[in-house]
Amino acid sequence: MPNSTALEENLAACHTCLKLVSVDTGQCPRCGSTIHSRSPNSLQRTLALLITATLLYIPANTLPIMYTDQLGRTSESTILGGVVLLLKLGSYPIAAVIFIASVMVPLGKLLAMYYLCFTLQWGNPGSQRQRTQLYRLTELVGKWSMVDVFVVAILVALVNLTGIIVFRPGAAALAFAGVVITTMIAAEGFDQRLIWDHRRTVQP
Amino acid sequence: MPATRMACPSCDLLFNLDTLQEGQSASCTRCHAFLTTRNANAFANVASFATTALVMLAVACTFPFLEFNRAGFENATTLPQTIVQLWVNNMPGLAALTAAFILVIPAMVMLLLLVLNLALMQNNYRTWVKPLANWVFHLISWSMAEVFFVGVLVSLVKIAKMAEVTIGISFWAYAAFCILFVMAISQLDRFQSWQKIEHLT
Repeated sequence: MPNSTALEENLAACHTCLKLVSVDTGQCPRCGSTIHSRSPNSLQRTLALLITATLLYIPANTLPIMYTDQLGRTSESTILGGVVLLLKLGSYPIAAVIFIASVMVPLGKLLAMYYLCFTLQWGNPGSQRQRTQLYRLTELVGKWSMVDVFVVAILVALVNLTGIIVFRPGAAALAFAGVVITTMIAAEGFDQRLIWDHRRTVQP
Repeated sequence: MPATRMACPSCDLLFNLDTLQEGQSASCTRCHAFLTTRNANAFANVASFATTALVMLAVACTFPFLEFNRAGFENATTLPQTIVQLWVNNMPGLAALTAAFILVIPAMVMLLLLVLNLALMQNNYRTWVKPLANWVFHLISWSMAEVFFVGVLVSLVKIAKMAEVTIGISFWAYAAFCILFVMAISQLDRFQSWQKIEHLT
């Protein structure tokens, strides 16, 4: 006999301590958190945060992420400019790390989260297991986009020889950190159990 | 005694965990999400990994992290200086975020886990155990120590051609911290921790 879901048995799992209680329980008797069968307005909140992240993604890529003052000259570099520079210098592995962490991961994560939200709005079509895996992947890789921001932080602290060479942080670093944080909150707020609701008869 | 049941956090399917033996772990049959594992030593393991991690972090904050040398001019940096330098460059927001992600949150997680798991190990219930557990499970996903470490490696390659860079003791201490952090988290089980807390109340 297949198992039933908590919702079908009128139970809800506490989102903090995982305790199973009746759905109409107001507060978890174990940890005191408010009980919801599914996170309220999960889709709307996730979408709102995704739109914020998309808007922040524009200054993150167009503004300079770092300035270099070298022997009286100042040059600036954007995220993509940095990747191109690394390619010219021949540092292919590092260029790949930065390109994957700073361009592919945030963009892929935004697209994946939009896709997950819209498939739920459009009646939950497609493989549930694949979409769950997609969600797990976005959750797993989310924070790795911060690599480029941390690289800026380290270079700014380390390369600081006044008059010879000084690295300074640019506004894109903050915008980019904003993209990473908002997409992380968006992924955390997305209730993945919605993917599995209403479609029990369909094989995954 | 009522059955030990758990809903899959990923797809809400219900499972009875009464037959789960010591040393076994359970995962969801439908979506393959990890559910829980039974390990009698888990609390002691988390506490010991967390203690060692905290010692390593203290070392990492005290000694030089990296040294930069170009044409006879030197600049040594420590971990806290990385944050201070962002602050003096008119980026207080970025400085605060970096401080939170690479030092404050990782340290808090380890400290709170140490205190929590010591309490659970010694079977004594205190009123602060619940809010503490509540906090720590939310904080874990915001620790970015390992991401920062990859950032350090990338920076090293980036400036290796530009100047001579020397690796300090803190670099190795922080690397050890990252490994110990992951080891502590891998021994932590949300379901079992809360079962134990309930058992103690």
